[in-house]
Amino acid sequence: MNRTKIMIVDDDPELRMALKLRLRANHYDTVSACDGYSAIALAQKEHPNLILLDLGLPAGDGYVVLKRLRDSDTLSDIPVIVLTARDPQANEDRSLEAGAAAFFQKPADNHELLEVIQATLRNASTAASSLPS
Amino acid sequence: MSDQPTHVLLIEDNPGDADLVRLRLVEGKTPVQVDCFNRLADGLASLTAEAPSLILLDLNLPDSHGSETFRKVLEKAPDVPIVILSGQEDEALALKAVHQGVQDYLVKGDITSKHLERAMRYAVERQALLRSLEISRKQQLEFKNQFLSHVSHELRTPLTCIHQYVSLLYDGLAGPVTPEQHDHLSTILKSVNQLHAMIRDLLEATRAEAGKIRIEQRCVALGDLLQQAVVMMQAAAQQKRVGLEIGLDRRLPLIYADPDRVLEILLNLIDNAIKFTPPEGSVVVKACLADADPAFVYVSVTDTGSGISPEAIPLIFERLYQDPNRVDGNRTGLGLGLYIAHELVTLHGGRIWVSSQPGDGSTFSFTLPVYSLAKLLLPVITQQERLRDSFVLVRVALTPLTQPPRGNWKAICQQCLQLLRRCVYVDKDLVLPPMGISGSEENLFVVASTDMARVNIMMTRIRGQLESCTELKAAGALRVTAEPLELPPVAATDSLEQQVQRVADRVTESIMHNLGCKNFAANDNHKNADRE
Repeated sequence: MNRTKIMIVDDDPELRMALKLRLRANHYDTVSACDGYSAIALAQKEHPNLILLDLGLPAGDGYVVLKRLRDSDTLSDIPVIVLTARDPQANEDRSLEAGAAAFFQKPADNHELLEVIQATLRNASTAASSLPS
Repeated sequence: MSDQPTHVLLIEDNPGDADLVRLRLVEGKTPVQVDCFNRLADGLASLTAEAPSLILLDLNLPDSHGSETFRKVLEKAPDVPIVILSGQEDEALALKAVHQGVQDYLVKGDITSKHLERAMRYAVERQALLRSLEISRKQQLEFKNQFLSHVSHELRTPLTCIHQYVSLLYDGLAGPVTPEQHDHLSTILKSVNQLHAMIRDLLEATRAEAGKIRIEQRCVALGDLLQQAVVMMQAAAQQKRVGLEIGLDRRLPLIYADPDRVLEILLNLIDNAIKFTPPEGSVVVKACLADADPAFVYVSVTDTGSGISPEAIPLIFERLYQDPNRVDGNRTGLGLGLYIAHELVTLHGGRIWVSSQPGDGSTFSFTLPVYSLAKLLLPVITQQERLRDSFVLVRVALTPLTQPPRGNWKAICQQCLQLLRRCVYVDKDLVLPPMGISGSEENLFVVASTDMARVNIMMTRIRGQLESCTELKAAGALRVTAEPLELPPVAATDSLEQQVQRVADRVTESIMHNLGCKNFAANDNHKNADRE
């Protein structure tokens, strides 16, 4: 059986590594990208089940990535959870409007983050299976 | 002064005085252009066309008297320097005007051209100085806000890294940890969380100072929030062996507030109370309807701690204030918590205060507005003090297959609203919060003042658009329906208040019918106020 694959997009290599360790410990496969441009390329190649997205990124910030994903024929179904150091007051609603499923400010509580990842994955799979293909 | 004539607006009703001032002005070395009015209203009206360099103002005019005169001018032209022409007998009043922002005064009868010229020149200079000070103050504040916002973002990034790696170690994901190491890691995590809270408070306080805090008020069950806050603080209380109890009035009505912010206020006050209460003491959180004003609920946090000194009480909600006599033997924090709580309560339209005796504990109390549908509907369904001709209640029912994750409901609502606004011409609209009762969050109600006929035509389009919206489906919304609900005509003999109340009742009734639910409390009549 295929394991669930999560793509981590963050420009901080140490944080990418920490998230990878955390997610792997919870039985997820991970791939990671360090900027907006490679995030889209990697998403097309790997087609992850979920994307953890930072907003402050080089080569196309998180909003650009969200828009590209939503506009894409093949990637628009992938749920995105925003995980950013930016201010929620200015960014939470904007992220949700841009199509993110949830918003977390760094540093996020790991248990809460993992719960929301699980719920989002569950929602995405039920929505996909009930849609006429 | 430059060679350009100084444009003087003279507001003086006594022709003799006016002529004399005009003469003195002409005698001076500076070229002047004088516009003279004998009524305040005419003088003020002339300001709209062109702002003069200076206003010479008599206080007693046919249409305005005394302090009222300079207040009106200050309000209308805050940037124009004003020099008052006062009589011998009202010099005290003129001095009062100077305290309130007028630049100078001259006593009529004593005016020489030299006097007048000098007073005018200085008034103009001072006003320009004040203005540039004000502008630079605003620039500095803006700069400070941007700086703090940037700094807090930059601080968060390494903090996140520390948090992630320490929690990896703490959870044993990087190999086994001895109990002692586990303790140390727990201390690091606690400090990281404190640092995180401080960064958050810093940004929040800056925002409060700049008036940039946003609150999203909705219909909320206050009791649930109190319970939640107490549960969240229970561990901290137990650790300090402080009792933490809750006392709820069973007839507590729903309130109109931002639940996240109210929780923030409560956590802040309870955290403080625990911090300043010695072991074996107690903290009690209570809520009831405010006796003095039924439009508000009253919440209090009482502790049996060290109390607050009388000198500290008036200062305790000030930014960065810390009572030097209140030592908790621990880290003190930034002194921003109560300031933020004060700002948040004020934004809700409530007030916050403290009563305390040193050595005998303290009680922090605040008020929050009761949820009133009639009050919320007022701006939507009335125009120029009368009820609008037509309005509709639109219901969008979203049926998610599973419990949507945090934040998702909001996103779905926003998407629905955007679609609705594209489809119907909505004059003004009010989104009724999903009643603040979890489990009923799959319904969106919009009251809009719009043309009924138009709504009927558009409704098919809305339904089509909502149902074909793949984003909504992906978000978990499977069945989307929208239906207009006509509200009954209202008797014209009723007062506006009664009419609005009747519409509010009808809206409530429709929502209850639609939801098939009994537990939507209509606060306005306190019908179901003793909801569980």
